[in-house]
Amino acid sequence: MKKKCMVSAILIGFSWALLTIPARGQETAGIFEQPLLITSAGQNAEVQIVAVLAKRAGLNYTLSKQATAADLENMKTLVLVLGASLKGLGAAGLDMDKERERVMALITAAQKAQVPLLCLHLGGETRRGPQTDDLIAEVLLLAKMVIVVKSGNGDGFFTKLCQPRNIPLVEVEKTADVQIPLQKAFK
Amino acid sequence: MSRHQNHRATGLVGLALCAASLLPLSCRQPRKITQPPPDDRHAPYNYVGRRAMVVAAHPLAVEAGLEMLRRGGNAVDGAIATAAALNAAEPFASGIGGGGFMIIHLAREKRTTVINFREKAPQLASPRMFKDRGEEEKEWRTSSGLAVAVPGALAGWDLALRKYGTRTMAEALTGAIAIAEHGFAVSPTFSSINKDEYERLVKNVPEGSCYLNEGLPYEAGERFRNPDLARTLRLVAASGVKEFYQGEIGRKLVAAVQAKGGIMTAEDLASYKALELEPLQGKYKDVTILTAPPPASGGLHLIQFLNIIERWPVRTWGQNSVPYVHHMSEALRFIFADRERYLGDPGFVSVPVHWLISKDYAAAVASRLRDDCPLESYPYAECKQEEKDAANTTHLCVLDGDGNIVALTQSINDFFGTGIVPEGTGFLLNDHMDDFASDEQSINAPGPGHRPVSSMGPLILFRSGRPFLALGSPGGTRIFSSLTQIVLNVTEFGMGLDEAIEAPRFFSFSSGGKPGPIAVEARFPEEVISALRAMGQEVEVREAYDKYFGGAQGIMVLRDKKIIHGGADSRRDGVGAGY
Repeated sequence: MKKKCMVSAILIGFSWALLTIPARGQETAGIFEQPLLITSAGQNAEVQIVAVLAKRAGLNYTLSKQATAADLENMKTLVLVLGASLKGLGAAGLDMDKERERVMALITAAQKAQVPLLCLHLGGETRRGPQTDDLIAEVLLLAKMVIVVKSGNGDGFFTKLCQPRNIPLVEVEKTADVQIPLQKAFK
Repeated sequence: MSRHQNHRATGLVGLALCAASLLPLSCRQPRKITQPPPDDRHAPYNYVGRRAMVVAAHPLAVEAGLEMLRRGGNAVDGAIATAAALNAAEPFASGIGGGGFMIIHLAREKRTTVINFREKAPQLASPRMFKDRGEEEKEWRTSSGLAVAVPGALAGWDLALRKYGTRTMAEALTGAIAIAEHGFAVSPTFSSINKDEYERLVKNVPEGSCYLNEGLPYEAGERFRNPDLARTLRLVAASGVKEFYQGEIGRKLVAAVQAKGGIMTAEDLASYKALELEPLQGKYKDVTILTAPPPASGGLHLIQFLNIIERWPVRTWGQNSVPYVHHMSEALRFIFADRERYLGDPGFVSVPVHWLISKDYAAAVASRLRDDCPLESYPYAECKQEEKDAANTTHLCVLDGDGNIVALTQSINDFFGTGIVPEGTGFLLNDHMDDFASDEQSINAPGPGHRPVSSMGPLILFRSGRPFLALGSPGGTRIFSSLTQIVLNVTEFGMGLDEAIEAPRFFSFSSGGKPGPIAVEARFPEEVISALRAMGQEVEVREAYDKYFGGAQGIMVLRDKKIIHGGADSRRDGVGAGY
């Protein structure tokens, strides 16, 4: 019984390790520089969680839920937390079209300033849906790396977008697990 | 696996985990749920009983209520046991830091009564208290001490037990204490709401609080325990509700509110009283509706709405057909104007209730609507009230073997309320001051001792003088619209109770004379959405089963079949059990 438990634990640990390792040849450590600007794409609540994880990871970050190009000044990485929240959009007085416009303008400005893009999706399956998926599909192609909580990629949506373009995709089991790959991604 | 299947699977895992969490309670009594629910949590499923039934938004709360009934308690005892258990099992939606309304039908006396345990404003509240601080600063209205109204839950539960129950408060709190002590596996619903409200919680809950898991939101399946709440409830069980309103718990509550900039005093808390009221009565065809009167607005607006609908051939139109959705959305926009203009606390202002629920008034509204397109503008009050997206609150129903029924809706307003937890108590404080209007001229402006207008509307429906349906829902201002649709699904479209609850819902409103979009669940056929848009209606498509539209629970008595059906909403974690 004890042996079985040990084997199970090793298997679970091994599977978890496999999940957090992207495809061979894809670099996920030390590819971004600080300071980083964290904002959401869809006014989701997870952006606040990412800020807490960044703080725990000891990263030098600024959180701005409705960041614009001006907020990119002196920033070396743009972190987009993906996922549309109707509640969040409503509270911010935005609709999805306006939010998309803001996000795309921000990415354009980041590209112009050669600030790389790191995308995160923490909301799992509940933070998917037509509105979110349309925005993700547009934004993700411009990312240098993507970190997702596994339950949000149950249908392989992120894999299908990242794989053909060789964008490193790190899958983690739960929200708290995002901290390690996030930390490692920065110099 | 498709996304939808995935969602179902996640839900099932959550329910299975919840069921596993039931074990400590279930060990004492065998469970007698008639047959297992279907794999698809959204598939209509009526819980069946022959004598008694409990429906609520969490399986542990249902179990607590059912156990009370099995031990000989009546529907009131069962309802308070369930309500208290929800504080432990669904703490983000209601609890002793909040308030609500319940409607009680006493079978032997053939009498129905209402208990108003809605929170009230502190004595230092004033009509300008919002305006003076800048209306644009929304955050302080929902997450500071100023957002906290004087809680009424324990006073209401106590009044109901003393007057109509057969058990003590200590007995009614037993299940809640066990749940808080032993804990349970968090459901996907709990987890997603915990994530949504993270910002408020980080701001207000003390370090190490059980409402976050090591400072982060809970993932589905992780264990939630609340020993502080268990201790608080034990104190109330031992010393009575005065421990909350005048004792150590009360002192901690007032200190927590004041530390966060609030104006509540010990006197506010000590002077709180729940009120017993005559129910408000309405009629739809052969159905008599009894519900909570203002400051609850859900029941009143439901009666208004049904009065208007009574004039239309809804059965010919068909459920969720284009004319059905168009006409009802237009009517909702008129009703929201009435809400802005006329609804306040009747203890302080005059509310023209009887005129609003009159058939003549309904005829006047119906005559102003156009069949082919939306109106350009709608009536409005000078003091516009903001429409909120929040989908909070909870509802339960209990029917006992003697035919007594309780429908009870309770809340701490937004999910997780203010996020403020009085030191070491484990319960969350409400943000119901946010239910007052910002404008000092509004009939619903804050004032000392005023109770803010609520959207709650617990109902009991009667046919030939006998109750046949108890119903209620959370869902903010969507409550009465959702309840009306469920009532029509049953009475006009012949649906079974849970089928009526699970059916796709829609909603619209007006604010300041401007129409809001028609929000529909994604299950609405594309051709209906297209046709509504072609008529000039703005349509907003939401999730397929969106808790924005509430989480209704109901009990239906099928006298011809001599059985009872319980219906519980899969938009949240609703379940039922009977025997």
